[in-house]
Amino acid sequence: MSAIPRPAGAGSMQRMAAPTSKASTGAPWLRVFAGLAALCFVFLVYRIYQETTAFTHGLDYFSGEFQAYWMRLLYTQLVLVIGGGTGVLVWLWRTRERDFSRVGRREELRRLFVVSSMLLVFGTIFYITGSIYTESDAAWHQVTIRDTDFTPTHIGLFYFGVPVLVMWGFISFAYAHTRIPYFGGRISLPFAIIVAGAFMIMPNLGFNEWGHTFFYAEELFAAPIHWGFVLLGWSSFAAGGLLTQIATRVMELTRPAQGATQAA
Amino acid sequence: MTALPHPDQPLTPAEARRVDAQLDWVIIPLFVLLLGAVFSFEFALLVGDWDYWIDWRDRRWWPLVTPLALSTLSGVFGYAFWRLLRIPVGATLSILALTGAAWLSRYLNFHGFANFPMNMVFPSTYIALGLMIDCILLLTRSFFFTGVFGGFLMGLLIYPLNWPMLAPFMVPVEMHGMLLTVADTMGFQYVRTAMPEYVRIIEQSTLRTFGEAVTPVTAVFAGFLTILSYWLWVWIGSLGVKAGWLRKAV
Repeated sequence: MSAIPRPAGAGSMQRMAAPTSKASTGAPWLRVFAGLAALCFVFLVYRIYQETTAFTHGLDYFSGEFQAYWMRLLYTQLVLVIGGGTGVLVWLWRTRERDFSRVGRREELRRLFVVSSMLLVFGTIFYITGSIYTESDAAWHQVTIRDTDFTPTHIGLFYFGVPVLVMWGFISFAYAHTRIPYFGGRISLPFAIIVAGAFMIMPNLGFNEWGHTFFYAEELFAAPIHWGFVLLGWSSFAAGGLLTQIATRVMELTRPAQGATQAA
Repeated sequence: MTALPHPDQPLTPAEARRVDAQLDWVIIPLFVLLLGAVFSFEFALLVGDWDYWIDWRDRRWWPLVTPLALSTLSGVFGYAFWRLLRIPVGATLSILALTGAAWLSRYLNFHGFANFPMNMVFPSTYIALGLMIDCILLLTRSFFFTGVFGGFLMGLLIYPLNWPMLAPFMVPVEMHGMLLTVADTMGFQYVRTAMPEYVRIIEQSTLRTFGEAVTPVTAVFAGFLTILSYWLWVWIGSLGVKAGWLRKAV
């Protein structure tokens, strides 16, 4: 499994120069901070909307106001997240690097920082979704009994936070494997585990809601019906392997040339 | 305007140092976020109500499930930090991240959103357990002995570590002719869908005959289980840091 040779091209001095190289040797901080600020703003506005309207218009699925305030939001966000995410994935595939040997050392380094920054954004989404939004659901369902699977906190958690997390995971995975020579021609197992774990939350959600509908209307958060989510959360334990892969490649790319070392 | 270096030109030592620093600036916050996210998510779904509510922090389940859940990230990331970076901070950092995430969530969600009083939902304290695990790892340099000593103490010390914070809520009071604790009366005032333990009768069966010995009995049992749990999660951690590759499937 680990004996697959590194793809030829990267690190070779014989290849053609990349047509464009921005020669950056660091993370795209401006874009990272702008992205994180935008992300936090969206989740904050969503949370304010939730606090403002959950108790006033979100208690009865069968009321007209629930349909107006929450179901419209649900349909809109699903279309935006799934449609937008799919569009980005298609764009990434259509513009993929077809000849990794054309990617120079500095360009590969820049792309490694881009994917590392994307993982930072992934971690932020995971924190907001896995901690704040998840426990808002825990708190909400202690004071209200669910009447359907669609409640204000579920709509925020399972149909907004988790799809955003899954889509961003797919996008990060696709970026790495379509643009970085080190990831080209093979699949990073830890990266695949992380992304698959996030995605499998959705099928597990189906099981969870089926169980709640079938035999378990109340909300005991540590109940066995929720343990599937825990298992999927543990997929992030593979982060150590992924970061090892990235750091190993960065070390290879930043290693000074043999002559330069001797001269120094 | 300076010319861009050739795409294949090796980095200068100054550039290489800058890259190293930049990588730290990306990876360290990423790890802190991940630790907080994963631990908070896992803890909510494994310990959950046992730690959410002051009247749920009982003598039988809370001291048992909590160290088992705490030993997961302590083992996994303890291994990762020790194996990859040779620094014994995995348990402390992960429990610290959990504590930070828990305080923020309890305030925003349970207090701000669902209107429970903070003194009913404040998180327990576990940071000392992380420090202890890491110190034992530093001293012994062995996951085996860290599991034996640190794992056992982790299970043993949950209750005494939190006792100063719990004690005011365990004071007996009489309400409508019934003897309750202060925590119980809070539970009666704030009825929840997950009914509290005195309705579910958690402390049932013959364990009740142990009387006041329930807490130490549970603590010792939890200690032994946590030894095994810590070893298991260290092994899982050794799998997690593997940088494996798969052949392209399509």
